[in-house]
Amino acid sequence: MEADVTVIGSGPAGLTAALSAHESGAKEVLLLEREEELGGILKQCIHNGFGLEQFKEDYTGPEYAERLIKEIEKTNVRRLLNTMVIDLTPDRAITAVNPEKGIFQIESKSVVLAMGCRERARGSIGIPGTRPAGIYTAGVAQRFVNIDGYLPGKEIVILGSGDIGMIMARRLTLEGARVKGVYEIMNYPGGLKRNIVQCLNDFDIPLHLSHTVTEIRGKERLEGVVVSRVDKKMQPIGGSEEFIACDTLLLSVGLIPENELSKGAGIELSPITKGPTTTETMETAVAGVFSCGNVSTVFDLVDYVAQTGMTAGRNAARFATGDWKKEKPSVEVIPGENVRVLFPQRYSFQDDLILFIRSAKPIERPLSIDISPLEMHIKKLYARPNEMIRVKVPRDKLKDITESIEVNITER
Amino acid sequence: MDVEKKHFTCVTCPIGCEIDVELKDGEVVSMEGTKCKKGQEFVSQELDEPMRILTTTIPIKGAKWAMLPVRTDKPIPKRLLFRAVEELTDIERRAPVKMSDVIVRDIAGTGVNIVATRSMNREKKGKFV
Repeated sequence: MEADVTVIGSGPAGLTAALSAHESGAKEVLLLEREEELGGILKQCIHNGFGLEQFKEDYTGPEYAERLIKEIEKTNVRRLLNTMVIDLTPDRAITAVNPEKGIFQIESKSVVLAMGCRERARGSIGIPGTRPAGIYTAGVAQRFVNIDGYLPGKEIVILGSGDIGMIMARRLTLEGARVKGVYEIMNYPGGLKRNIVQCLNDFDIPLHLSHTVTEIRGKERLEGVVVSRVDKKMQPIGGSEEFIACDTLLLSVGLIPENELSKGAGIELSPITKGPTTTETMETAVAGVFSCGNVSTVFDLVDYVAQTGMTAGRNAARFATGDWKKEKPSVEVIPGENVRVLFPQRYSFQDDLILFIRSAKPIERPLSIDISPLEMHIKKLYARPNEMIRVKVPRDKLKDITESIEVNITER
Repeated sequence: MDVEKKHFTCVTCPIGCEIDVELKDGEVVSMEGTKCKKGQEFVSQELDEPMRILTTTIPIKGAKWAMLPVRTDKPIPKRLLFRAVEELTDIERRAPVKMSDVIVRDIAGTGVNIVATRSMNREKKGKFV
């Protein structure tokens, strides 16, 4: 099989990338989806808040997905469902498998990676104790409730204050479960403020910052967890232990990009975002392979995911149609003071540079985002690690850069 | 009458202003922490009647999945969220369903409708999924 642009994954990033590649002139666009329908994780995100920026609508996840799927269906983008990509080579040869074709090869002029991310699970955070039933990641519980119609338990404790955890706290409460509390190891929340208000405060669900689960008890089924306060170094404080009876523990302790295919293709990964290193065009270190959405770095909002998908699709189409030349080598984009996450990691002088920034700590006072060597200082009223900041640097301001671009957050 | 103090986090935009309000006889006498007019509007709505969108699921028969996602097509009073969910307890649909199809009219006496948030086709019998 041959294609101009092949998009792997059909969540918000993949759907947008496929549409954008088609609209940018790629003739044969192929969209590969592992599951039996398009949409990815949007299908189980039944809450609203999607597409406020992109469509100026307050959609739920399924509505947002259906709108994009309807647009895809109007095009000649070829969709292959139940199709799992098992290998990608540096020269863009894709090996995939599905029930109709068995194992087959795709030769594609360019490739867009849009596989999304995975949830960190109990093994990633190492909670001691027994191994009973009743411990789920928040996203798995979301799938059980919203698609399969199963309630995972009745007395719930949630570890981690990521958005999915808080959204599930509300969801499970509405379905009749009792959510006893959300425990967060950091001294600030992991998710968006609006979710703290609408998912926790609205339902009187307490959020305990600087707390973690230090023991799991129960033999067959979870019987309870021990929670402890933690000190500034995030170490449990002896004597602060409290036992909380529960039959279910949900983990909302972070997401990591899905990198199996990227590693196989020899794509350089960023130690900061944990996803492929990319330029502002979303091209990875392997020519003609682009990456977008949560496989690149974990975003807060679907609008940001879609924006990177659009960029990746447009540039993958340019690459496939031969409209691709680099005038000079790309430069590094370096996170400086108070910057924990910075995306993209390189600039290749082809487009505006749209930076996504996470601060290293909550700063609740006026600050400036300084982009050097440009004399660019963007003033903000606050910066919080749980809320990505987006900054656009126009292309014409960047044309004379020769070495690197550094981003610092300075308190004013 | 004593001055009553209330605290709100505005969710109109991502800034999330922390707003302190003082009330006397139910009237706002002072408001601190809002950075814009929308924050004031948010607080008066919250004081008057907090409104929320409800999103939930109902069972569906003959479709690929067990549950159909639904929502209120407009915000409803927060205090009626549980009553709305309760009114949906025995509601079930049969595929096919189209996105935006009305599932229940006038939920919990609010005048607001419950609508499907996705389409689901009827699956042929005997198909393994």
